[in-house]
Amino acid sequence: MTEQPHLDGEALAELQDVMEDEFDVLMRTFLYDSRERIASLKQAVSEQDAEALAHAAHSFKGSCINIGAPLLGELCRTAENAGKEQRLEKVPAIIDAIEKEFRNVADLLEKLMVR
Amino acid sequence: MPIQTRRGEDSQTLIISIVGRFDFSTHQAFRDAYEHGDESIRYYIVDLSDTTYLDSSALGMLLLLRDYAGGDGAQISIENCNNDVRRILSISNFEQLFAIR
Amino acid sequence: MEESVAEPKSLTILIADDSDTDRLILAVLVRRLGHRVFEAKNGQEAVQLFQHCEPDIVLLDALMPVMDGMEAARQIKILAGERMVPLIFLTSLSEAEELAKCLDAGGDDFLTKPYNRVILEAKINAFNRMRLMHQALSSQRDLIRERNEQLVTEQEIAKRVFDNVAHTGCLDAFNIRHHASPLALFNGDVLFAAPFPAGGMLVFIGDFTGHGLPAAIGAMPLAEIFYGMVSKGFKGADVLREFNQKLKKILPPGMFCCGGMIETEFKHNQLQVWNGGLPDGWLVRTSGELEVVPSRHLPLGILPSDQFDDGMDTLATEPGDRLLMLTDGFLESRNAEGQLFGDSGIRRALESRAGTQHPFDAVMEAVGHFSASAADTDDLTMCSVEMVDEVGISTIHDRIEPSPLPGPMEWHCEYEIRERTLGDFSPLPLLLHICMEVPGLRRKSGEIYTLLAELYSNALEHGVLELPSHWKQSADGFDQYYEERRRRLSRVEGHFIRFSLSHSMTPSGGRLRIVCEDSGSGFDFHNHPILESELRPGRAGRYAGRGLLLLKRLAESVTFHQQGNQVEIIFDWEVAGTSSNPASSHRQ
Repeated sequence: MTEQPHLDGEALAELQDVMEDEFDVLMRTFLYDSRERIASLKQAVSEQDAEALAHAAHSFKGSCINIGAPLLGELCRTAENAGKEQRLEKVPAIIDAIEKEFRNVADLLEKLMVR
Repeated sequence: MPIQTRRGEDSQTLIISIVGRFDFSTHQAFRDAYEHGDESIRYYIVDLSDTTYLDSSALGMLLLLRDYAGGDGAQISIENCNNDVRRILSISNFEQLFAIR
Repeated sequence: MEESVAEPKSLTILIADDSDTDRLILAVLVRRLGHRVFEAKNGQEAVQLFQHCEPDIVLLDALMPVMDGMEAARQIKILAGERMVPLIFLTSLSEAEELAKCLDAGGDDFLTKPYNRVILEAKINAFNRMRLMHQALSSQRDLIRERNEQLVTEQEIAKRVFDNVAHTGCLDAFNIRHHASPLALFNGDVLFAAPFPAGGMLVFIGDFTGHGLPAAIGAMPLAEIFYGMVSKGFKGADVLREFNQKLKKILPPGMFCCGGMIETEFKHNQLQVWNGGLPDGWLVRTSGELEVVPSRHLPLGILPSDQFDDGMDTLATEPGDRLLMLTDGFLESRNAEGQLFGDSGIRRALESRAGTQHPFDAVMEAVGHFSASAADTDDLTMCSVEMVDEVGISTIHDRIEPSPLPGPMEWHCEYEIRERTLGDFSPLPLLLHICMEVPGLRRKSGEIYTLLAELYSNALEHGVLELPSHWKQSADGFDQYYEERRRRLSRVEGHFIRFSLSHSMTPSGGRLRIVCEDSGSGFDFHNHPILESELRPGRAGRYAGRGLLLLKRLAESVTFHQQGNQVEIIFDWEVAGTSSNPASSHRQ
């Protein structure tokens, strides 16, 4: 793994600036969305559906990049590539990493919202 | 500029040279060439040495110049035409109206 | 276009993305830029919303459930039709192949994640400018299309009006071949043909400077003049003078009409030609020999009447000889290499044609093979007139509608021309015009004209000028005759020709009495072979056999008075339906 930070402070600052009142809504949406995505990833693995996995990972990656969570985005990219290459055996480990990183991101974002 | 004008040595002659095609596209420029001349102009020379093509609308423009320069009393000569241009002038018998050299 | 290209007003923008997070960010960004946003969660929703909200720009995620962005893009482009709706793909795709697929599906650009406010705004503005430009172009194109349709319709109407004035005359006569584009009028080309009342025909081919309406507008009076004058018996030179005067008056100084007038005299086997500014005409003899008929005059509408030269060239011909005249569109046809067809092209076509091929077809074929584009022939007008035996041409009639008005039935008039006027004025059109006031005589105009013309030319040439008709029987004599005629016409002091015309009603129609008297010395009509015995062409006398024979065939009676310098002709006509031609049927 690369040395990506959990959150891109600059990107988040810009988002806060743009979204104004809707920033909190965005954060909640992202957190909700992400849980759904993680569930989709797990389902794809259990069904051994590489294509669905790549698809879900791709979408999740886009959101992560947009929200300013580069490390999580990077993990999603790894999962996407594994799906594309039909190498599902490594994926459970990646999903674990994603879940772990998501908890980090979620904690940090919750703090941002409370502030 | 496709149309150039200059004054002859006698200062009473206006020499209008047309470069390239003498057709409807030169209509305005040709008119401008003689209409803004001053009162002292008595003779006109239309120099076609660099004219490659001439069509019937150019013939019309020459008639307009003739009209402007006094109709039957106009003193206009058309000079240095190439063969194609001369052929068109002579089909229309313009030598009856202009001195063609 | 009312919308300003510089400052985009509020646009309607459709955003389609299945990720709520991404859609939310983008929607807010777009709204903050002042635009109205519609949101879709997949491709199918996007297509449905597109129809409903008619967005100006669509922002579309590539990978979506139900219907992906590629398919949605294809359907949206179809729905948009001619409207330009910029389609921007939202993507974190980075592989070239995937990006290319988006463009293939109709995408115009990409917007990559993370979204950047500045780039988003720049893209929306850029695509809005393109959209507005497209709109402006489309509406200008529609306007041009609409104007063009309007113009074509107007031209068709104008053409119909013109055709009613010009009709086709006798252009469809068997001895005439012609080519003219249906909208030749708006190329400034005109072509008229009409038979003279007494045989022979007049053909005019003209080419106005310029194109379109200005060129077409001068054609109208020419048609009026041409058909009006020819039906009254005026000759080519008269018509030319009238043309020139009219055009000089109505056209602005820079405009004129190049033209060719062809007058055929089948009876005398000769052509009179006038060429003012048209390319060389070509007389193609039956032998294949070519004779050039060059332009010897200024075009029509340039010179004032007193300087205008209506002199026509006389060409002695034989039946089967053909005269070709054409507009400069032929010479200016270009081939793929940009070379001109030119006079030499015409000459080559005429010289290399097969013996049986009509010269007209030879030239048409050659220019067709030569020119680079078929559209070229739209600008070409050509006609060919063939000299024929006079008898064969008698079936050609002009289409003059009889006036329904009743005319004078009982009248008498005298008309005398004297002195120099004998040389430079023909009284025939006037006299014919007087006779044509009688409705019953109108359908006999050809016969009346022939009677008047025969009487007049005999009175002038043999009575006043005392020219012996037998000179005309040899080629040398022919020239001598006309030379002498010209010379003697300048010395006609004290001479006159007097016509007395009277008309009265008869139980079955009417009777026209024409007396023609001249100041000449007359002739010994008591011993004239045709007059005293059977109808057989005679030897030379004051009257050439043919002329007298013609008079006797057409008229009820022909009587000579005094010392032979006064001829009286009785012409009877019957109300239509009783008998068509009593005079000739009695006598044959």
